[in-house]
Amino acid sequence: MYSDLLHALPDVFAWTNFAAVVIGVIAGIVVGAMPGLSATMAISVLVPFTFGLEPLVALGLMAGIYNGAMYGGAIPAVLLRIPGTPAAVATTFDGYPMAQKGEGGFALQVAVVSSAFGGIASAFALMLLAPPLSKVTLLFGPSEVFWVAVFGLASIIFLLGGNPVKGLISACFGVFVSVIGSDPIYGNDRFTFGQLEMLDGINIVILLVGLYALPPVIDLLETPLKTDGVSSSKLGTQSLWKALPRMKSFWKTWLRGSFLGIWIGILPGAGGSMAAFMSYNEARRTSKHPEKWGEGEPEGVAAAEVANNADTASALIPALTLGIPGTAVAAVMLGGLLVHGLQPGPMLFRDNPDIVFGFMWQFLFGAILLVLLGGSLATNSFARLLNLPRPLLGSVIIVLMLIGVYSIHGRMFDVYLMLGFGAIGWVMDRLKFPLPPVVLGLILGGFAEENLRLALRIGRGDPMILFQNTTSLILVALTIAVVVGPTLKKRYIDSRKKA
Amino acid sequence: MPESRNSRLTRPETLTALGIIVAAAGFLIPTTALRPISALLPAAMLVGLIVLSVALLVSDQRKARAGEPAKSMTQAPKRVIGAFLLIVTYALACDFIGFYVSTAVTIPLVAWIFGYRSPIGLLIATVIVVGTIWAIFDFGMSQDFPTGRFWGH
Repeated sequence: MYSDLLHALPDVFAWTNFAAVVIGVIAGIVVGAMPGLSATMAISVLVPFTFGLEPLVALGLMAGIYNGAMYGGAIPAVLLRIPGTPAAVATTFDGYPMAQKGEGGFALQVAVVSSAFGGIASAFALMLLAPPLSKVTLLFGPSEVFWVAVFGLASIIFLLGGNPVKGLISACFGVFVSVIGSDPIYGNDRFTFGQLEMLDGINIVILLVGLYALPPVIDLLETPLKTDGVSSSKLGTQSLWKALPRMKSFWKTWLRGSFLGIWIGILPGAGGSMAAFMSYNEARRTSKHPEKWGEGEPEGVAAAEVANNADTASALIPALTLGIPGTAVAAVMLGGLLVHGLQPGPMLFRDNPDIVFGFMWQFLFGAILLVLLGGSLATNSFARLLNLPRPLLGSVIIVLMLIGVYSIHGRMFDVYLMLGFGAIGWVMDRLKFPLPPVVLGLILGGFAEENLRLALRIGRGDPMILFQNTTSLILVALTIAVVVGPTLKKRYIDSRKKA
Repeated sequence: MPESRNSRLTRPETLTALGIIVAAAGFLIPTTALRPISALLPAAMLVGLIVLSVALLVSDQRKARAGEPAKSMTQAPKRVIGAFLLIVTYALACDFIGFYVSTAVTIPLVAWIFGYRSPIGLLIATVIVVGTIWAIFDFGMSQDFPTGRFWGH
């Protein structure tokens, strides 16, 4: 089972594949450092540019961006008390007070080393857990696959928090978009309205760019951010080798935060912010000096950063094996895999072992590379990114979005479609409709429909075929638990409060 | 104090729910021409959208009746509308005038309008971005860009 893992290693060291990880990590840090931009947005913009690339080059870029952005979010969190990514909120608690004391450079180095530690642990978890899980899923037939899709959608809707009605609307919209185009079995057109461009359905990249890239661009242009000029001379950055001994005492926090981050990453719908908060709270609870937390305690930065990076690769465990992404970034990465003809699920491990295991190695190397970028020169350079003018950045991203979407089929129709999805995405974003269920609905909708219809044909039209084996029943029970669980939990908490 | 009847109907969530109901009902019409098995999933999703939107509408109107103010979707509507219009205009310009001319104008124009006013910075950024796009995509990857319908391409 693990022999494929070692077999994939030489390919990762091909210079193009390795360079992709390096470029991805640097690009990810740049994106993460810009408040309002995120790894999800960066990967969405990147995906169309990877069409012509080898799969491992494309996946290396994505793995690098994901790792880099999680650390990059710490830069404005420490220097401006503005989290670059949502997962960096907990980093502001102690990072910013450290910067106020003239220890901003050290705070960033703690962040980069902790991020690397979390990322490495997460990559190992992916390598160890995904292969056996994929073997189990190989036993699934059409009805089980259908229930896996339903479970995936249910978990991302109900575990994501927020308003479940809005989550369900998002999912229905995503599934509806997935059925546009030719019917997969009978071939008749559905909702194409005579447009030849729609016959093949809506390309996932068009939806991703519209939903995830356009709203942040509007945000960049809507609110001018004053940084008051970040100067590297105020950071007090020293050599990483001098800084490392001061981090020796963080090992327990790193281990605990990694475990929490990995666990939360595997759970669909949770994500890096929750991991960072839980890790921060646990580290403070067990600290000998909890009163110092919030006033510039370096261990607070370590706790938050290790956990938000530990959920990166682990979020791909359910994504790669079952097709259920744990986070929004993982959902977008699934889109990236589909672009290269790689359908997430058990067959991915059987048919493309070199690519899927190579991707895991790239996650590991991406995390290790972060440490190399923790030196004083790199830290000071990344800090200066905050001085980039946001309107200029916004206009450049608009151009990249257009190039990316146009290059899919070489037609402007896709660009207009992307703008339509972008407008919908902006409204959804502002009204707090979750976006991941839309993407997951698009990915799983067609998949679910095909398997449902296949199962019904096997059962000669009898819907009871969907409930005739133990695995299906377990998946149905899990789906019900996911739907009902949060409501029961809320009622229990409310009744405890009243009591 | 409860909101007035007019403002109650113009709350963003109410308008969105109404929009979804109308759009989903419109898309339901073509499903009647499909085979039942082909129409099953899309019809289920559209009916789901209508039912869920009604629930959203009712919940938002209850909030309005209780006097809960609707959150504004943006603090700077003019900037948001301006940004959307500029992006759409850029796409149309690429389609009708051509990619390079439109891009060379759009980058400095958008940045200038939204607050970055350094002429040298704008010039350098435009040259770097357009030059890099040409070098990587046009020269390096032989990627075709829209050349403009006005010029008969």
